[in-house]
Amino acid sequence: MASIIILAFFGVFVIFPVCSLFMRITPSGIVDVINLPQFYEALKNSLICSGTAALISLCLALVCAMCIERTRIKHKAFFNLLFVMPMLIPSISHAFGLVALFGANGLITKIFGLNGSIYGFTGIIAGSVMYSFPVAYIMLADILRYEDGTQHKAAEVLGVPSHRRFLDLTLPFLKRPLISAFFAAFTMIITDYGVPLMIGGKTITLPVLMYNRAIGMIDYNSGSVIGALLLLPAVAAFVIDLLNSENRNNNFMPEPVTTKEGKFARTCSLIFCVVISIAIFAPVIAFCMMTFAKKYPVDASFTLYHVLKTIRRGAGNYLLNSIIYAFFAGIAGTSLAFVCSYITARLERYKFSRIIHLISLLTMAVPGIVLGLSFVIFFNRTSLYGTILIIIIANTVHFFASPYLMMYNALRKINPSLEDTGSVLGVKRLNIIADVIMPEVMPAVKEMFAYFFVNSMMTVSAVSFLAPPSPRPVALMIPQFEAQLLMESAAFISLVILVVNSLLKLFLREK
Amino acid sequence: MEILKLSVQGLSKNYDGLEVLDAVSFDVRSGEFLSVLGSSGCGKTTLLRILIGLLEPDSGKIFLDGVDITREIPSKRKMGIVFQNYALFSNMNVIDNVKYAMKFHSELKAQADKRAKELVELVGLAEHVNKKPGELSGGQQQRVAIARTLALRPEIILLDEPMSALDAETRINMMAELKRLQKNLGTTMIYVTHDQEEAFSLSDRIMIMNRGKIEVLDVPEKIFAMSSNEYVKKFVIDNMKARINMLKRFN
Repeated sequence: MASIIILAFFGVFVIFPVCSLFMRITPSGIVDVINLPQFYEALKNSLICSGTAALISLCLALVCAMCIERTRIKHKAFFNLLFVMPMLIPSISHAFGLVALFGANGLITKIFGLNGSIYGFTGIIAGSVMYSFPVAYIMLADILRYEDGTQHKAAEVLGVPSHRRFLDLTLPFLKRPLISAFFAAFTMIITDYGVPLMIGGKTITLPVLMYNRAIGMIDYNSGSVIGALLLLPAVAAFVIDLLNSENRNNNFMPEPVTTKEGKFARTCSLIFCVVISIAIFAPVIAFCMMTFAKKYPVDASFTLYHVLKTIRRGAGNYLLNSIIYAFFAGIAGTSLAFVCSYITARLERYKFSRIIHLISLLTMAVPGIVLGLSFVIFFNRTSLYGTILIIIIANTVHFFASPYLMMYNALRKINPSLEDTGSVLGVKRLNIIADVIMPEVMPAVKEMFAYFFVNSMMTVSAVSFLAPPSPRPVALMIPQFEAQLLMESAAFISLVILVVNSLLKLFLREK
Repeated sequence: MEILKLSVQGLSKNYDGLEVLDAVSFDVRSGEFLSVLGSSGCGKTTLLRILIGLLEPDSGKIFLDGVDITREIPSKRKMGIVFQNYALFSNMNVIDNVKYAMKFHSELKAQADKRAKELVELVGLAEHVNKKPGELSGGQQQRVAIARTLALRPEIILLDEPMSALDAETRINMMAELKRLQKNLGTTMIYVTHDQEEAFSLSDRIMIMNRGKIEVLDVPEKIFAMSSNEYVKKFVIDNMKARINMLKRFN
């Protein structure tokens, strides 16, 4: 019964909408898009920016992950925290942070007398690197942590020098994860709408073009063609990850790799981590200064004027709205992901298990903007359209795959005989779930909730297609304020999102 | 001691065309300690799961005290099971592990506290009542699993390779402990194992299985003296004799 409801839910909110987007695609629509003057430009920009940014972000992430996992530098926990912090602010804020630092009135522009030409190509690449870095970092650090140390020991005993051990043991071990991480970063960037919107200037990318056609000109047919195009890298990333992950499930590790790096190498690692940390933290400092300084960057005296002004413009309401969206997306998403993962992880013989597992993972392949447009096309004549409910559902579906997988893995690790024990002892399955399984997976449940909440707070992709004019999610106020040249307000909103997300993470932290 | 407790008649189970259990029939007497011995894939675990009711047979019947229980739900079979990995409730301490299931049985609920305490003492864990499974050794965890099973007063206890996670010394202690418990309580036990030493030292009778069929079912002494059955001779007797010879050399 639960399975039928779940399958119906995914049918109505994933499969049908995406199919309806595909049904909009006609040969003449494709020709129209190809003939658009900006199309070739946008395609080229998207490919070059995403490729370059993904590569840079991957390299930085690899070095950072090596510094944290393979050296004995101090303050690892602190660096680790900072490296993942960018995941708590929207992509649009990363770009806005660059504007605040390097834009026409940016802090660094003023201090060093630069010309403030961050808009365009460089800006998109830099912003995208900031945005995708933490994801790549987490993926690589996680893999490095589980590398088998015994073969390193063996190689060391055989007299293999450490740089050769890295090249001949670690790199081959990292090959698949690196490919996966590259595609994950590439997909994230090429389907991202926040960074180019904020900092792209005249440099247009595919998501921006898609938004302009579909929402600006109500041209759903062209929007669908571009949407389908954006689905390609996402599907490719999904397939590659699926093929790559086969051997990864087994996290059995006889012993971790131990390192004995030299003093020089350790100092270099520390310096590198500090530099990256500064780069990550600089925008946050800029946000604080813009929010609380009288006239950034000229007059640095403290004021609450900008905060109050932003709140007078309705920020408080929008923020409250966003928190409500995020909270309900968290509840709905966590519940749905738990039920789905329970079915697929612990009722393996059940006939719907495989199909639910597949659909759950498949949601990963649908980028937010594609989901947003699909929802617009499929639901725009229903009473659901323009409601808070559709935004909550969109967020639940959009962010479903990662928490689902997290829970799936957690449930698979729990003793497989618990339910059988219950059934022999005359204890109902639901009691076993509530009294035994739930307490054990509580950390993962909290993490799932945090994931849905944080991402719902930040997202501008699917919601920008779906949000009613008012009340819009708070993240969408950032480009709005920026367009009105209310930079301080945009900075304040970025800061608020970071603070709310950090507080939630702190609140749900394991003691 | 010669009362018939459990009667299994023609149990068969087929997985994807493979006959995992092939018309298996045997009887178990009341208070008996019966070992089911066989290498992995011989069907012994499938048999156990069918006996307890976690798996349905394709054909065949199971009678407990003469009553057909083939389609009965697991908790109504008056049987308990100790799984290979114990499946303890890791978030509950020792006493709560033992007590938990009693709360769901109206006839046991009232005396749950008292009974749990007695059982924990019976298996020798009185000092560890407040510990969680993660803080216990393998042998202690197994004692919790046994106490938890005993709580519901089962008439037959099934044990699925219970010693496989224990080190050699604990294994010997636990085997003696198990035998003592079984003698004192008079509970019928069906003990599934691939370990010949366990089977021969614990059992009243041994049932040797191979490819879903029973090769032989008899008292250990008779099996040891057997030479007619090729499989039993090759994989059980010769192996045991080699072990005995080795012991003789050092003793």
